[in-house]
Amino acid sequence: MLFPEANVQKSESVVPHAREPQEHVLPQRAPVDRVTAQRPLPMSLLLLAAVAVHLPLLLMKLPLKSYDTNQHIFFASHYLHHWFDPWNPKWYAGFSQMTYPPLPQQWIAVVSHITGLDLAYMFVQLVAIMLLVVGVYRFAKIWVSPRAASFAALGAVFLGSESFLVYSAGQLGTTSAAPLYLNALPFLYDWVRYGRWRAFLKGAALFTAAAAAHHATLLFGSFFFALPVLALALVERNEGEEMSIAAFLARTISIMVVVGAAIAVVLLPFWIALIKYPVTQTPIPHASRANYLLSPEWGLNYFVVPYGALILALPFIFWRGAGDRRLRPLLLGFWVAFLVGLGGTTPIGHLLLGRAFDVITMERFSYWATLLALPFVGLFAQEIIASFRTRAMVALAALAMCSCALAVSWSTYHPADAADFKVDSSAAWLNRDGHDRYSYITLGFGNKISRLAMETNAPSEDGEWNSGRLLPELTKYGGAQLTSSKYFGKAGLNALRAILDHADHYGLKWILVRDRYYDPLLAFAGWRPVDSLDDKTIIIWAKDGVPPFTPVNAPQMPPHWQGMMWGILPFGSSIVALLVLLIPERRRREEEVIDTYPSGESLVPGRLAS
Amino acid sequence: MRLVRTLAAGIVLAAALPLLAQGGLTVPRTIEAGSAFSVQSSGSGQGTLYIVGPGQVLKRDVQLGSSVNFEAGALYNAGHYLVFLSGSGDTASLDVLPSSKVADVSFLARPSRLPVGLRDGITGAVYLFDSYQNLVTKPTTVDFQLSTPGSAAQNRNITTRDGAAWIAVDSSPKEGAAQFIARVGDIATKRIIGQVPGDPCGLQMTARPAGPKVALETAPVRDCSGNAVPDGTIITFTESFNGGQTTVDVPLKRGIAKVEMPAYPGATITVASGVVLGNQIRWGR
Amino acid sequence: MSGRLLALILFAATIVFVVIGTVWPLPEAVVFAGGGALANDTSSPQAALRSFGDDIHAQAWGKAYFSLANRAQFTLPQFMADMMGYYPNLRTYSGLDTFEIAPVHATDTDAEFHVKLHWATVVGDAVDNRDVHVVKNGDRWQVDWPFTKQPVLPPQVIPVNYLRWDVIYRGAGDDWGAADVEQPHVKIIDMHPVQRAEGTFIMGELLNEDVVPAYVSVTATLLNKSQQPIATEGSFDKISHLLLPKQVTPFFIKFADVNLSQVGGVRMTPFSTLIPASADPVIEVQDEKLDTSAVPSLSGQLVNQSGQIANVAHVLGTFYDQNGNLVWVADQYVDHALLPQTPVAFNIHIPEDLAHKIASQRTVISTFNMGGTA
Repeated sequence: MLFPEANVQKSESVVPHAREPQEHVLPQRAPVDRVTAQRPLPMSLLLLAAVAVHLPLLLMKLPLKSYDTNQHIFFASHYLHHWFDPWNPKWYAGFSQMTYPPLPQQWIAVVSHITGLDLAYMFVQLVAIMLLVVGVYRFAKIWVSPRAASFAALGAVFLGSESFLVYSAGQLGTTSAAPLYLNALPFLYDWVRYGRWRAFLKGAALFTAAAAAHHATLLFGSFFFALPVLALALVERNEGEEMSIAAFLARTISIMVVVGAAIAVVLLPFWIALIKYPVTQTPIPHASRANYLLSPEWGLNYFVVPYGALILALPFIFWRGAGDRRLRPLLLGFWVAFLVGLGGTTPIGHLLLGRAFDVITMERFSYWATLLALPFVGLFAQEIIASFRTRAMVALAALAMCSCALAVSWSTYHPADAADFKVDSSAAWLNRDGHDRYSYITLGFGNKISRLAMETNAPSEDGEWNSGRLLPELTKYGGAQLTSSKYFGKAGLNALRAILDHADHYGLKWILVRDRYYDPLLAFAGWRPVDSLDDKTIIIWAKDGVPPFTPVNAPQMPPHWQGMMWGILPFGSSIVALLVLLIPERRRREEEVIDTYPSGESLVPGRLAS
Repeated sequence: MRLVRTLAAGIVLAAALPLLAQGGLTVPRTIEAGSAFSVQSSGSGQGTLYIVGPGQVLKRDVQLGSSVNFEAGALYNAGHYLVFLSGSGDTASLDVLPSSKVADVSFLARPSRLPVGLRDGITGAVYLFDSYQNLVTKPTTVDFQLSTPGSAAQNRNITTRDGAAWIAVDSSPKEGAAQFIARVGDIATKRIIGQVPGDPCGLQMTARPAGPKVALETAPVRDCSGNAVPDGTIITFTESFNGGQTTVDVPLKRGIAKVEMPAYPGATITVASGVVLGNQIRWGR
Repeated sequence: MSGRLLALILFAATIVFVVIGTVWPLPEAVVFAGGGALANDTSSPQAALRSFGDDIHAQAWGKAYFSLANRAQFTLPQFMADMMGYYPNLRTYSGLDTFEIAPVHATDTDAEFHVKLHWATVVGDAVDNRDVHVVKNGDRWQVDWPFTKQPVLPPQVIPVNYLRWDVIYRGAGDDWGAADVEQPHVKIIDMHPVQRAEGTFIMGELLNEDVVPAYVSVTATLLNKSQQPIATEGSFDKISHLLLPKQVTPFFIKFADVNLSQVGGVRMTPFSTLIPASADPVIEVQDEKLDTSAVPSLSGQLVNQSGQIANVAHVLGTFYDQNGNLVWVADQYVDHALLPQTPVAFNIHIPEDLAHKIASQRTVISTFNMGGTA
């Protein structure tokens, strides 16, 4: 097992979890029952639960209906064919994929040799979900007992925000980086608190791999996840094995420097691209920045669905988090992430993030907040089950399943694309008779443009990865995908007009239209219908006299050495992390831990007897 | 490319002798494309005869010392051929000339549509080919004829040079679909040239009251040769009154354009088509 | 600090932050909330009008309708038709982008405002100007919407005998030497570069001198003094792309960030191709008035003389000086459908500094039928 602590029956006695014995009132039961009642759920059971819940959904390829899944597969398809050349000419008349950390997409490309791209995506996502279960368990165990941590890990299987990101948002980067990050945090704690070199190595390797999966997770995770862990180590410095402030600072700074350097090297082309071509685009409105009270439909989407039954646990989180000195750093981390995740409902996100508030989307903060809440949830589950046994288990299971079901089914009730249609005929049309000598855009295709880009050889000026855009016509206005211009109001339509105005510059000859709304603009701007597909649901408009497409943005093309780095280091970081994790933990005195992790401090024996 | 090769072959072979013995091979110096011929070899034993030329290769197993006959149609691409015999190393050359009989007239006529009465407005070019699509380089007379229904046909005879002949003729003053024919012997190729009316000439309109409006109607619109300007042509009526203006672009229907416009006493009404101005009317007070 | 106190502080702070975010929402959040708050503010005439505008922005038609003082005079569908039209047009699928309110006068019981509604249509900004009355009913102000009854076509049969051109291009089985149909002959009959603050503009006029309809566009390449290309731009929508025989269209090409002093030459490339087309609908431009006063404009009315509804009309005005030289080209999209024989007003803005030079103008109309082409 890569994470030895996950085997809770043999886990080391972790001093920080110890509490004053007098605080805990254990239920008066037979010794065997008591032991059973205090045991954590086996990791194998937790992983099986994750597989049982998510494998069928992934085999059904449910994430393909989400917002971003096809974009990740599109990136992966490019790595599949051009591993060492991150310049992708199929979007934005050419853009660099080095503007997005590549790890999950490169893994998809690798696995796709066996399974094909779609199933490879599902495989990588499933691995991320299973890693999350392990990561939540390990992270929660820093704060609460192994049994509570195991409940937290079980909660991760049914976590609404996880299902929301996987099946509705399709945020593979976030959902794969977070588990790596969570798994790294216990090593951070061990290193800072006890100075264990193995923990240093493993933590650094996992942090680097997490950054290679998603940079934002590492950046913001440092504040929401790592700071509470460091604060805990500081708070507990005098308990058990003592730690000086100097040691704390030295260890903290040393791992920060090493991890920072490793990330700087592994993602060097990314940083170069970011510095040379900073994201100075006009912000694009995103509903996660809405005020969820003024826009309740978005409140439902970005608060109720991701949190699910966790909303009911909020009072407990605040009450217990504030009441326990050890849990306060975690509570504060959760609270800030919670506030930022509320988007425009509070001014906190805007105050803390500044301009980044207008660039990144807020649902990931809710995701992180729910992950930070899970240790509390585990604690709550442990206590309520200890008190009410079967009734509590049934109630918790029902709530967890309802949360999960709502989030999974949300992609059906609130689909990313109202219309489900195939792009095969469009791709075939673009690929025949030399049509792919010219570039194209679509109108009314929604997030099918990623799938179309994968299937056609023709380049396009549109795309779904906004940070990769370099065309001034696109970056000047606050619209995102051209294919959905009308949903971005004046900004989107201005961007569309600007790109159509410069059609000759980009060899833009074809417009595949699936929304007649745009017809007047095309007709008055000099395009005319030349063909139709799929029973005339897709009309192809053409402009005469347009020269063939020639590559643009040439100055932005990364040099070959950067392509080599991009192909080797991020993927290599994950391999290194796997290898480092194989280094065995130092043998420690095995100790039964059951009695070290008592149940809640407010249990009432009388109720337990009932 | 084939044309160039054929021309080159024709020039080279112009003075060729009918038969030439070269080395141990006896081959005709020139033959007409597609005609039968034979090659005489010398020596004894078995060998393989190759005839290699532009776009065509022939290979025959031969008994050395015997004659090899090639049937009609075996060698049909005009040009210079190399003949060699494997084993003996004997080589010879052979020129295939295009047939003198024209089998196909390729006729390019431009443009497919033009205004009437345009001097040298129509060009035609012909290329003559034999039945094997070799360019016939022998000077041949081509009869060009441009005929428009209702007007006299124009006839010109042009002799080809290097297999091609061309001509420029005026479009007729009468509109209609002209037949442009290129004829060589009994082979004729026809193209249709659309001769369309020119700009309107002497554009005239009349006005009459129509209730609160003024009804404007043009006389049948014709060009300067008297051809009716085709329906669909835009006629622009403009009425100016007291600093205001009313404009309407009306397509011709059945040769005339008509429209009703506001009747302002003292208004000035003009009619135009493209850059051609018509008459002006001042609507009475 | 005790745990309970901390919990209470965090909980209270959360509530405070939510209240702040809701009472004074961030601009990013306002975009999705239609600019509004939880309840309509009707405490002042401006607030009532602004709430009404927010509702229109959010396409909360019912909420906007029921906030009106004079809603008894028309139904909700009629109100929606007043905003978007009964027949498909530019406004049908567009949303209200912004609105401007200018007070005209106010008393204790009523107020008058000039309201400019900016609709984000597919072809650009469409402005709807209304003079709006706001009245006080009890303690709340309500908008008295200036309802304009939309014309409705009576059921009828209109015979159509319009001209139509269809094209048969050469096919695979045609003789090698057979010519394809000739592309239409078009000619640039006027071209004039002008320097403005926004850059250099090339304007001119293009004539279809052929007897067949032409689909046209014009591309201009600016050359420097060494005759090297500086920039190439096309006419985009500042041209009527469909030209019937002998029809003339203006064209207008913008070169942002290019100064005319840099330009040593202009290479014009007109493009034309033959397309199927019809001569209908015929649009009459009535009562054109050139106003060169403080806010110069060309106004008039469009009348559809055909039986076919023209869903979108594009008005291109070409302006000349006393010598007939081209001075400016301007355009406007009409955001109401043109029903047969039903006048629809248009108003094209003219730059103030050019107005005094203009002596005459010419107007060209192109139309688009939903389900058809321009």
